[in-house]
Amino acid sequence: MLAAYLISGLLVMGFMFLRFSLSSKRADYLNTLAIAHSVIYLILTVVTLIYLPQPSFFFNRYLMVDPLSVYEVLIACVIFLLASLYARGYVRRLVQSGEIEVRELRLFYAAYNLLLVVVVFAFYCNNMALFWILLELTTILSAVLIVTLNAKENIVAALKYVFTASTAMIFSIIGLIILFALTRQATGTGTLNWDVLMQQAGSLSPRLFTFAFIFVFVGFAAKAGIVPFHTWLPQAHAKAPSVISVLLSAVLLNIGIYGILRLYAVAHLTPAWHPVSLILIGFGVLTIAVAALSMLPRGNVKKLIAFSSIEHMGFLLVGIGLGTPIVLFWVLFHILAHALVKTQLFFSSGILHQQYHSNQFEDMKDIFTLQPLAAWGLITGSMAIIGVPFFPVFLSKLNILIQLGNFSLPLLFVILLCFLLVAAAFAAILIRTIPQTAETKPAQYHVSLSMRLPIIALFAAIVMLGVYFPTGLHTMLTKIVGSLGF
Amino acid sequence: MMNLQLLNDITKILFVLVMATAALIITVRTLSSLFNVYSIQSWFIAAVAFVLYLKNGSVVLLLLAILTVVSKAFLVSYVMRRIQKSMHMKRDLEFRYLTPIGSILVGTALIFLVYWSFSRFLPVLSSDGLFLFGAVIGVSLTLMGMMVIFTRKRVITKILGYLTMENGVLLFSLFIAELPFIIELLIIIDLVMLIVLATVLAFGIDSSIDEFHNKLNSYVMWFKE
Repeated sequence: MLAAYLISGLLVMGFMFLRFSLSSKRADYLNTLAIAHSVIYLILTVVTLIYLPQPSFFFNRYLMVDPLSVYEVLIACVIFLLASLYARGYVRRLVQSGEIEVRELRLFYAAYNLLLVVVVFAFYCNNMALFWILLELTTILSAVLIVTLNAKENIVAALKYVFTASTAMIFSIIGLIILFALTRQATGTGTLNWDVLMQQAGSLSPRLFTFAFIFVFVGFAAKAGIVPFHTWLPQAHAKAPSVISVLLSAVLLNIGIYGILRLYAVAHLTPAWHPVSLILIGFGVLTIAVAALSMLPRGNVKKLIAFSSIEHMGFLLVGIGLGTPIVLFWVLFHILAHALVKTQLFFSSGILHQQYHSNQFEDMKDIFTLQPLAAWGLITGSMAIIGVPFFPVFLSKLNILIQLGNFSLPLLFVILLCFLLVAAAFAAILIRTIPQTAETKPAQYHVSLSMRLPIIALFAAIVMLGVYFPTGLHTMLTKIVGSLGF
Repeated sequence: MMNLQLLNDITKILFVLVMATAALIITVRTLSSLFNVYSIQSWFIAAVAFVLYLKNGSVVLLLLAILTVVSKAFLVSYVMRRIQKSMHMKRDLEFRYLTPIGSILVGTALIFLVYWSFSRFLPVLSSDGLFLFGAVIGVSLTLMGMMVIFTRKRVITKILGYLTMENGVLLFSLFIAELPFIIELLIIIDLVMLIVLATVLAFGIDSSIDEFHNKLNSYVMWFKE
């Protein structure tokens, strides 16, 4: 089954190298391949979900398909599919406006398709060292995607990303080595496989496990944008082309959180779970607070959305740290809700950027007459992301907060206060943007259907998830929580 | 098997030499000397792996020693030198936060800190004194590499800091555990890719955007139209 992923990925890459003489058609040809790639992966994932017994192991147990990995892959494939559709119109526009050169397109789409393959295999990884390698590869590929744009600030942003993420990841490998030695001591043969770690968790020395956990956590936290390793995130998200910002925010941050969740599931079975929980909650609250305080003075819409990603990752960390089955259920739902809403927000801001050639809210005038869809996308997206009722984020926030209240009331108040600041930051930008009018109207940027369609689809999905909880999803999330040993 | 005591002594001498190269990486300002120091450091670490191989007879260690020499002492150094030539930059004189003397002092403090924390945890894993010594030197080297990243302004020197970190981890892994060879190999390939990318980006910072995109394309030839 997993070989099918690899083969189809390679085929798509192979087709990319077919010479295509008409340069005007090249963007569309490469984009069609990217769409086909995501569709194939989505179908394969659905087939895996339905027909493959879970957990299943492949390639000498280096790869594993279990409920959590399939769930994450499914989210990633949906986001990639929407992003590929959006990219059709968006990249064409980038070429027209000279923001990306035609000769760079193949590199762009190669990195794009390769990123999908790497992301899928990172989720299907059973071995932590292999997971680490694939995580590093996502850094490399997303940095390449950021620098294909013709701007020097993008190089600075990409470098900052590469340095922060990979420096932190070096600490992860120290942690992995300690963990390997620890399991070798406990079982005779060292291992870094998630499934064996779960089985052996009880026999690991709690002090040394916590020590190793802290090291591994540093790297994964940097990939997830957790404070204080978040410094790369706002710049990278804001400077990247919007279609890449989506992948960074809705897919790549998830991988960091996924790694932490897996590691926590192991920690949960050791006597070390208590200090580990406190570490996660501490970092989570710090992350939410720093993000909330940084959001209020923002005038750059994309940076605001980027900081909101940091805030949500912090919230997920708090949820994981609480570690009860109910919270984990809602943490998993929150991952989905956040991915969908963030995608809509970045898609909308991408259209606005093409219209006004700026991300600053002061430049966005006559937003409703010029770009009604993007305007509504931004408004509903902002409402959804701050957790207004009838949107899915509301459900997960509410349920996780109730559990947090049981854990510590003062902490609940601190986080609520932070959420208030976040809501104020979004409201401040929207209230100031909407009434702005220009004396001379700029030419309207015609948004192609391929860019509208994903936004409309996302809006429908978000509203549906906010008012109706599908039974299938409920069963799936319950199964995941069970499979993680909670 | 060679005399065990002699091998242990050689390892200790190599540790001191590795620390000396770390001190040089923190202080040296001429870029070409920095590359030389890095290359020498990689040779020393390969030598440590080789000595450990003589001691344990594990083939993985021998392969690691060869891999380190090939990838770090030759390949990475070559790529860095080539890019440095096209950047027309010879020296890195800019420091942030710390002067070289300050860095050396902080570096020394770091070694003690690492020793203090690791001596509390690691003896659980092994009682071999050399094992703890190696782990401490490895992690200290990693932290000193990180210090280079923080205190130097030029990206190309920062990359050297990153490479030093990586050498530290390698040294650490030699003493703590042998990961499966395939994993070690993949990690090294990954890191080489990362270094090439970072170096190309570093070139981009100091050149025009056109030159940068030419370079980017020349490193990914097969994507060229």
